[in-house]
Amino acid sequence: MAVRVITVGSQQFENLRKAALDIEPLICARCGFCTFVCPAYLDTLWDSQSPRGKLYQLRELIKKKQPIPADFAERIFRCTLCGACQEICQTKIPLLHFWQIIRQEVNLAGHWPEIVHFLDKNIQQSQNIMDLDQEDRTIWADMVDDIVEGHIGKAAATAYFVGCNISFKGSLASIAENTVKLFNHLDIDFTILGEKEFCCGNPYFVAGEWDKAREIAKHHLEELKRLGVKRVVFNCPGCHRAFNEEYSHLLGEESTKDFEFIPFSQFVAMNLRDGRLKFTKEYSHVVTWHDPCELGRHQNIYDYSREVLAAIPGLELREMKHTRNKSDCCGGGGLLKGTNPTMSVRISARRLESAEKTGAEFLLSECPSCMMSFFDGIEYKHSKIQFKDLSEIVAEALDL
Amino acid sequence: MLREKQLKKLADIVGEDNFSAEKYMRKLYSHDVGALPGIVNDILKAEVDAVVQPTSSEVVSNLIKYCLENKIPIVPRGHATSGYGGALPTHGGIAVEMTRMNEIYNLDLENMTVEVGAGIIWGALLEALEDHGVTIRAYPSSAPSSTVGGWVAAGGSGIGSTKYGGIKDQVVDLEVVLPTGQIIRTSNPPPDLIEKISKDDYEFFPNASTYVWAIDDFGLDDVDLTPYFVDSNGSLGIITKVVLRIIPLQEFRPFVASFENREQMFWAMQDIMKRTKPFYLHFITDGFNEMLTEVNMPTHSKHPWLILCVYEGSSESISQEERIFREIVSKNYGVIEPDEVGEHEWEERFYPMRIKRLGPSLAPSEVYVPLENMLSFLERAEKHFKGERFAVEGAVNNLGEVAVLAWFLDDERRTIPFLMGWYRSLDFIDIGIKENGRAYSIGMWNVSHSLNFYGKKRYANMARLKKSTDPKMIVNPNKVFSGPLQLSIRMSLLILAVAAVAVPIGLWIAGLYVGDLIAAYVPWLIMDNPLSVLIAFAIGIFLGVAVNELVNIVPITFVLTIGRPFLRLGRKIFH
Repeated sequence: MAVRVITVGSQQFENLRKAALDIEPLICARCGFCTFVCPAYLDTLWDSQSPRGKLYQLRELIKKKQPIPADFAERIFRCTLCGACQEICQTKIPLLHFWQIIRQEVNLAGHWPEIVHFLDKNIQQSQNIMDLDQEDRTIWADMVDDIVEGHIGKAAATAYFVGCNISFKGSLASIAENTVKLFNHLDIDFTILGEKEFCCGNPYFVAGEWDKAREIAKHHLEELKRLGVKRVVFNCPGCHRAFNEEYSHLLGEESTKDFEFIPFSQFVAMNLRDGRLKFTKEYSHVVTWHDPCELGRHQNIYDYSREVLAAIPGLELREMKHTRNKSDCCGGGGLLKGTNPTMSVRISARRLESAEKTGAEFLLSECPSCMMSFFDGIEYKHSKIQFKDLSEIVAEALDL
Repeated sequence: MLREKQLKKLADIVGEDNFSAEKYMRKLYSHDVGALPGIVNDILKAEVDAVVQPTSSEVVSNLIKYCLENKIPIVPRGHATSGYGGALPTHGGIAVEMTRMNEIYNLDLENMTVEVGAGIIWGALLEALEDHGVTIRAYPSSAPSSTVGGWVAAGGSGIGSTKYGGIKDQVVDLEVVLPTGQIIRTSNPPPDLIEKISKDDYEFFPNASTYVWAIDDFGLDDVDLTPYFVDSNGSLGIITKVVLRIIPLQEFRPFVASFENREQMFWAMQDIMKRTKPFYLHFITDGFNEMLTEVNMPTHSKHPWLILCVYEGSSESISQEERIFREIVSKNYGVIEPDEVGEHEWEERFYPMRIKRLGPSLAPSEVYVPLENMLSFLERAEKHFKGERFAVEGAVNNLGEVAVLAWFLDDERRTIPFLMGWYRSLDFIDIGIKENGRAYSIGMWNVSHSLNFYGKKRYANMARLKKSTDPKMIVNPNKVFSGPLQLSIRMSLLILAVAAVAVPIGLWIAGLYVGDLIAAYVPWLIMDNPLSVLIAFAIGIFLGVAVNELVNIVPITFVLTIGRPFLRLGRKIFH
């Protein structure tokens, strides 16, 4: 059994202090703007669950240098890390990074939730979050092996990073299938890492344990370099953000400067712009778009997906009331699915309500985590709306 | 402290899921946006014993009846987004948080009203109404998180008030649960209640007697009690439902103009108010503008004194007003900023506390000052608070008064200077009143301004209403009507200890200097043997008990009034 190190006394909140964020709870204006955009607060309507409430509790703990108690640790992890609190914050507290460091403090106090230990163990043992055999990394390609064949570990300028969820979960395999079909359609040479693709490290970032992701980041960047990759395409915003933001924080700007990390929507939009791709078929559907937090609020990427949808003839996009940086969360982030699945599904149901109000037939997004959340939400809510990943829409519109 | 049985009963009334007596939860529901000096916890029981979140008016009624029976103080609470202490506990008890009563009950597009639960937030209501092509005429700058009931209770003006008035002008009717547990509609109150208030007796409400002694007219103007409950800080009962006026949603166009100096800006503002009808007219001072740049939120304006003027209406009417606005700004040597600056400032209307990062604490104060007196008011304030760093902003209401909001930068970690700085918020209001202004909101900290704020007649009637329904001051004690302090155990012990030590020492010193006198009249006080030391100690204890008892009946307004000069002096020394 692994021994967990518990720090006491002056070491508490040392990381917060190093990041110069220990003053933030004091800077909080307590205006409560963050409460009514926080999915966890809206689920419970208790201030203990809101960012304002958590900051208030932390203020005292930081002042007294006391470790985070177990019940508070639970509440810290009842959060999707959607970043809505940071977006609306009156005093511009960098809350996303703040919560990540606090999750690290939770670990130091010995209260990480079981799901984090489970993921940690799996990643250490099997290099993926499911603890499955890495040999099965390309199991998703069964239906498209004619396209994928010869591309695993091949040297190419474009790489496709599939991600653990899409690689191993059958219900998400279509995302990868559609993506490689599009590569094929565009006649783009690509490579996939296969067994050399590890978990991107996102669970560590979400749990505030950056150090453990350092080796993973090194491995991926070395592997991409070895294959001569210049551009990496992602369907998973979590993986994308790991490469695009966290890796350079861990290893320095230099480490990633030779690569371009792009989400699927950007990849499609770029091909539309340079004329390699054109939608000609009439695709008469009314859709609404959900901005994944890791892509939208966390990275300020909102327009590519809308550009792609606008290029599809006959497709009508009806925006939800809360969209782009004000988008509500799907309930799937921040490991909430593992720590509190019932809260997660209720949050998802609330987002579905907004989607239903638009009268759209399909709810679209580009995120496997959002997809899983919405599948659960649709079942829970008996909603008539259908969820589709952007890759599916693109594939259908192109008849791939 | 509530007993286990009482906690269980309260949980039964509101439902287990809507009840908490956990320590952390009690703390969370015992604060508002204001940072308070630590001493507050020693002079008031500033933490509730439990938190309840009722889901219906009937539940509120049952709660109140139970609390009345058991003498448990009740502190109604919206989302605690104000800083006047209206939602702060003073004698423990329970926080009744209303956010679960957040429904829209009735949207009446014929009479243009909407009936909502008191716990709905303004932001959510505005969004919901937008779908029906209507909107609220005025809403607070804390709209993203403040509740409708909270603003109704706290009172004041906000965005839209330049044209449509404050919250008072928006409320048509209220459902209120009186401190007796009776649920009433304020626009049509039960006759027995009217009768109770209209009775012509001269027994005054304790602690309010100081203020109402001169009242000779106790009659009510009409039977609509709604105005009595608006801005009464929940002291007369718990507001459960609110009926608000609505208007068709029209076009809004924000304009920003900047000026080199305050004279130009305030002259322009006066002209704007005379010649146009803005939906919202707001200004920030050069100091505020500078602080915004410091926190990396610059306004990008050409000159430091800034006004945001928003017009609402049809495209044509806005264009017409815009023409006059441009003329006024130009006449006063101002600059109309580009549209994006206007849009930015309009978006920023909810964010007055951006500058808090510079503190990291902010001590706010707000007072209404007539627009024409703003120049002399600002000059006075600047002179009075020389050496203090503060920012001022303000918005004009439909009566031509400016709700002036001052933010004093401070650091609550510096305990003593922060405590001493308390006087600033109180002085700022006084300076405004000297300029023919009036207090902005009463809450707890401004109770001494109640008479000036409500007016003699209204305050007397409110006192009668309070007395007839809540003689024991169960519902929101110390708000609107001044109430006594409640010393903490440690403060009481400290007073006892100080008295027990100070009296013998004092007598010993007295013995040294006026020993003959003491020996002549009270020889047993001569400290020359162990028994006399014991007697002196006992006198000290007795004195300590007496001081404790005395302090526990002193109203907080008295303490603030008496203490203010000391705070002022202390701040000068420790700042």
